[in-house]
Amino acid sequence: MRNKFSHIGLVFFVLIGVIPFAAAFIYALLYSLGIVGVLNSGFTLQHWQTVLASSEVFKSFGYSALVAAISVVISVSFALWLALKFRKEFDQKILSFIIYLPLAIPGVVAAFFTFQLFSRAGFFSRLAYQLGWINEVSQFPDLVNDALATGIIITFITIVMPFFVLLFLNVYKNERVGNLSELAYSLGASSKQVLWRVSLPVILRKTWTLIALYFIFLLGAYEIPLLLGQESPQMLSVLIIREIKQFDLSKISEGYAIAIIYTIVVSVAVSALFSRKNKTLNEI
Amino acid sequence: MHNINVSILLVLLLFTIVACENDPTQDSLNIQEMSWEDISDQAKGSTVNFMMWQGDADINDYINNYVAPTLKEKYNIRLNIIGGQGPEIVQLVMGEKQAGVKKGQADIVWINGETFFQLRKIEGLWGPFVQKLPNAQYIDFDNSFINTDFQQPVNNMEAPWGINQFAIIYDSAQISNPPRNLQELENFIKANPGFFTISNDFSGMTLLKSFLAELSGSPTGLDGPFDEEKYQKLSTRLWDYINRNKRYFWKEGTTFPKEHSKMNQMFASGELKISFGFSEGGVESKVRQGLYPKSTRAYAWDNGTIRNANYLGITYNSSNKAAAMEVINFLISPEAQLKKSDPTGMDSNPVLSIDKLDPEWKSKFEASPKRIYGAQLSDLANKAIQEPAPEYMIRLYEDFRKKVIEK
Repeated sequence: MRNKFSHIGLVFFVLIGVIPFAAAFIYALLYSLGIVGVLNSGFTLQHWQTVLASSEVFKSFGYSALVAAISVVISVSFALWLALKFRKEFDQKILSFIIYLPLAIPGVVAAFFTFQLFSRAGFFSRLAYQLGWINEVSQFPDLVNDALATGIIITFITIVMPFFVLLFLNVYKNERVGNLSELAYSLGASSKQVLWRVSLPVILRKTWTLIALYFIFLLGAYEIPLLLGQESPQMLSVLIIREIKQFDLSKISEGYAIAIIYTIVVSVAVSALFSRKNKTLNEI
Repeated sequence: MHNINVSILLVLLLFTIVACENDPTQDSLNIQEMSWEDISDQAKGSTVNFMMWQGDADINDYINNYVAPTLKEKYNIRLNIIGGQGPEIVQLVMGEKQAGVKKGQADIVWINGETFFQLRKIEGLWGPFVQKLPNAQYIDFDNSFINTDFQQPVNNMEAPWGINQFAIIYDSAQISNPPRNLQELENFIKANPGFFTISNDFSGMTLLKSFLAELSGSPTGLDGPFDEEKYQKLSTRLWDYINRNKRYFWKEGTTFPKEHSKMNQMFASGELKISFGFSEGGVESKVRQGLYPKSTRAYAWDNGTIRNANYLGITYNSSNKAAAMEVINFLISPEAQLKKSDPTGMDSNPVLSIDKLDPEWKSKFEASPKRIYGAQLSDLANKAIQEPAPEYMIRLYEDFRKKVIEK
C-alpha cells in the first residue's frame, strides 16, 4: 500500500515538477539556438556569441551575486545577534508577532514601502526637510535606484532577516545550545569562547544550506530589483525579462540564452549543495 | 518571489493550455464579402476580448464604465479587457502563431507604430477591415498623421482611435522661459543641474526622436524609410550631446528612470523641473487630480514634437471578427469619441474630422467643454512632426542603453 502511494507521489512530482521545467528548459534552449521562434530562421550560434561577447551578462551576474551576498551576510549577522541577545524576549507574543509580520509581506509591497520611505520624495526626505536638515530634495542621499543598490539591499534584509531570526531561535532550542553553553561555562569557558566556539558553530552548521539557498533565491529576485534597481547593471531576472520582452524581436533569443546560462549555474550550485549536505537539511 | 525558471515555465504552461483549446476555425473568411447588417447580426450576443494598456485610471474608467455597459446595452456584446501593450501583444500573437492556436486570446489590440510594424512583420493582423466600418466615413484618411503610422501606410489594417501630440511641460510659476531647442536645454540644465532626465521607455525615446529631428536641421529630416547612414550620423551627435551634458541630469546621469510614470511623480514632487509626455503633455488630468500645480504649461519644441495616432487592430486568429468590427465601429462613433474627449474624463482628442459629421454631432462637438489647464492639440499644430520609421525607435532604444546608460 505504502509503495503504491509513493509511486503516485513520484508520478505527481515528475508531472508537476520535472516535465514542465524540462520542457521550458528545452524550449528556451531551442529558442536561443534559433530553432523555434517565428522570426528565427534555423540553427545558429549567433545569439550565444553575442551574449558571450558582451560583458553585460557577466556584469549582471557579478552584480546580482554581490547584492545577494551582502544582503544575506547582513541579514544572517543581524539575525544571529537578535536571536542570541533577545532569545527570552522573543518568547513574548507581541514580539514574535512583529517578527512574523514581514514574512507575510510580498516582495512588491516591500519594495513599494522602501520606495515610499527612502526615495528623495519619500517619507524620510520630507521629514529631513521639515526638520530643516536639507533645503532641497536633491540634498537627500540617493537610496533608491542608486548605483550602490542600497534600496534593494534594505528591502532584501527586511524580508529575509525575520526568517533567519525564527530559524536560529528554533535551532537554538532544538540543538539545546543553551544547555551546551551552560556546560561550557561550567567547564570554565569565557562568554566570548562560548559564543565563537559553541553557539555560532552549532547554529551555523545546522543552517548553512538554508543560508546558501536564500542566497540563490535573492540572486534570482525580480520585483524588488525591478522597482528599486538602476538601469545598468541590472540584476539577472530583470535583465532576462527585459531581453525577452524587448521591442527588437530579433534579439529575444539572447534573453533565452541568458536564462539558460543562469539556470545551469544555479542548478549546478544547488545540486552541489544538496549532494554534500543532504543530511543537514533533512535533520532540520 | 518571482524566479526566472518559474516565469519561463508559466509561459510554456500557457502555450500548452491555449494549444489544447484549438477549435476548428469559424467561418470568418467571408466576412469581407458580408454586408454590415449581416456582420452586425453575427456580432450580437458574443464576447470580445480587448487587449489594451490599463495604466491610466481615466482610460480604465472610460472603458469599464462607459464603453462596456453601452456595448452590452446596444449590441448585446460583452467586452472583456485583457491587460497588455506593445511587446506583450507581439509576444502573445507570436506565441499563438508558434503554437498554431486557431482561437486567439485577444480579438482587438490597441497599437501603433512599432507594434503595428512588428505585427505586420509576423502577419499577426487581420484585414483590411476599416473600409467596412460605417463610422470610418467621419475620419479624414487624407490626413498624413492618420493614414501613416510611423511612415507605414495604414491601408485599412488598423482603425485610428485617437490622435495626440508629444509636448514638453514645465511649471510657469518657477520657469519663465523654458528651453525650446537643444542649445537652450543645455543652458537650462547647466543653470539647474539635476532637474531633467529622459525615461528609458517609449516616451523617452519619442523625445529623443524630436532631438534627432532637430539635429537633422528640419522638422521633416527623418521622414521616409529608415536610413542607416543618416541615423549613424545624427545619433552620434545625439549621444555626444547627452553624454556631454548628462552630469547635469537627474542623479548626475548615472541612471535613468525606467518608466515615464515615474517622471510624472518626480515632476509632481519637484524632483524634476522639465518633463514631457504624450497627449499634449497630459497636463489637464494631472492638474485636476491635484498632482501638478495649476501653473503647469505644455509646449512643443521649436523644431517640433512628434504627433501620432493610435489604432485598433484585429488579430489574425480572432475567433470573433464580426463582433470585433462592431466594437471598433462603436469606438470610432461620434458618441463614443465625444465622451472620450471629455477633459474631466479620458481627455483624448477625437480622431474624427468634425467637418464631416452631421450638423447635430458637429454642434455637440463644438459646444463640448474644453481643457482649462492643458494645451489643445490645435495649439501645437504648427509644431507637429511625423513619426519616423519604426527602426529609428528600435535603434534608439538599443543605443540609448549601450551608448548612454551603460557608459
